[in-house]
Amino acid sequence: MEPENVIGHPVEVGARNPALRSEFRRGVLASTPVMLGFVPFALVLGAQASRKGFAPVEVPLMTGLNFGGGSEFAVVQLWSSPPHMLLIMAVTFLINSRHLLMGAALTPYLKDLPRRKALLALFFMCDESWAMGLANAKRRAALGIPAFSLPYYMGASLGLYFTWVCFTFLGALLGPVMGNLESYGLDMAFPAVFLVLLKGMWSGPRAARPWLVSLVAGVIACLLLPGAWYVVVGSAAGALSACIWGMKK
Amino acid sequence: MSTQFFLTILLMALATYLTRIGGYLLLRKHQPSPRVAAILDAAPGCVLISVIAPHFASGHVADLAALGITALAASRLSMLPTVLIGVASAAALRGLL
Repeated sequence: MEPENVIGHPVEVGARNPALRSEFRRGVLASTPVMLGFVPFALVLGAQASRKGFAPVEVPLMTGLNFGGGSEFAVVQLWSSPPHMLLIMAVTFLINSRHLLMGAALTPYLKDLPRRKALLALFFMCDESWAMGLANAKRRAALGIPAFSLPYYMGASLGLYFTWVCFTFLGALLGPVMGNLESYGLDMAFPAVFLVLLKGMWSGPRAARPWLVSLVAGVIACLLLPGAWYVVVGSAAGALSACIWGMKK
Repeated sequence: MSTQFFLTILLMALATYLTRIGGYLLLRKHQPSPRVAAILDAAPGCVLISVIAPHFASGHVADLAALGITALAASRLSMLPTVLIGVASAAALRGLL
């Protein structure tokens, strides 16, 4: 996809300012296909949020402050008036908990960065910009040049960030015009998005056993308990089973 | 915009930011224990599948069949075609069954 050519272009790590600019641009360009992929989901999320009673400006407020697609889809699905604050916070934390490991994997490459800059850079870390930033750092480390390129990473991250925020806003504006989504089967878009996200996290049937535990526990809780308890019950059962299986290893 | 809305969004943003900096701040010095790593590995998937559990719990044959088709599509295709197939199969099966 990108950028085998950094190897052939020592210029980019040479003269300081033009190098910074071109690294930033390289990051933006590398993430362009992903930006295009963000657009339809941002529109759907914005439309769905507006149907749940979000005002148009409230949507970019959420997506701009939070910037975590999977958790935002989940929160919109669970949204009620008034919202269950703690449930939403817990679900957000758990869905995004993979970022703990992603941040840890990136940490060895962030050691030369002032902590303030690292903390700011991490605000914009999403699955895709993390993957690109890490791959780029590994490539640079193999070349023996300073591994982490902040401008490259920020180029990739900011491009994705503004695409997400702008198009969720547009979706919120267009949402009311789109009418009742369920009558077209559009409610199936959510499990579809989640199933694709799950496929992306798939690393074999063994690792997915806790997911099955969650599914069974979640379905039983759905049938027996009121409200959104199924999220808590399903997640807790899955995490507990992962803990038990993790101990045996 | 209600205070409650704003507070909820703020808590949500805080939770996400903690996961982003948590790995950097905490695991910089130590490696996570295998047990913690196992939970962190499985947790996002467990939460995602729990959130969509109601779709699996609905007793409607058309919805369950559409969900099965969508899951099959998700295992082979990327996001956009999967969503399109999910939506189309739900609309069609609800009309037929």
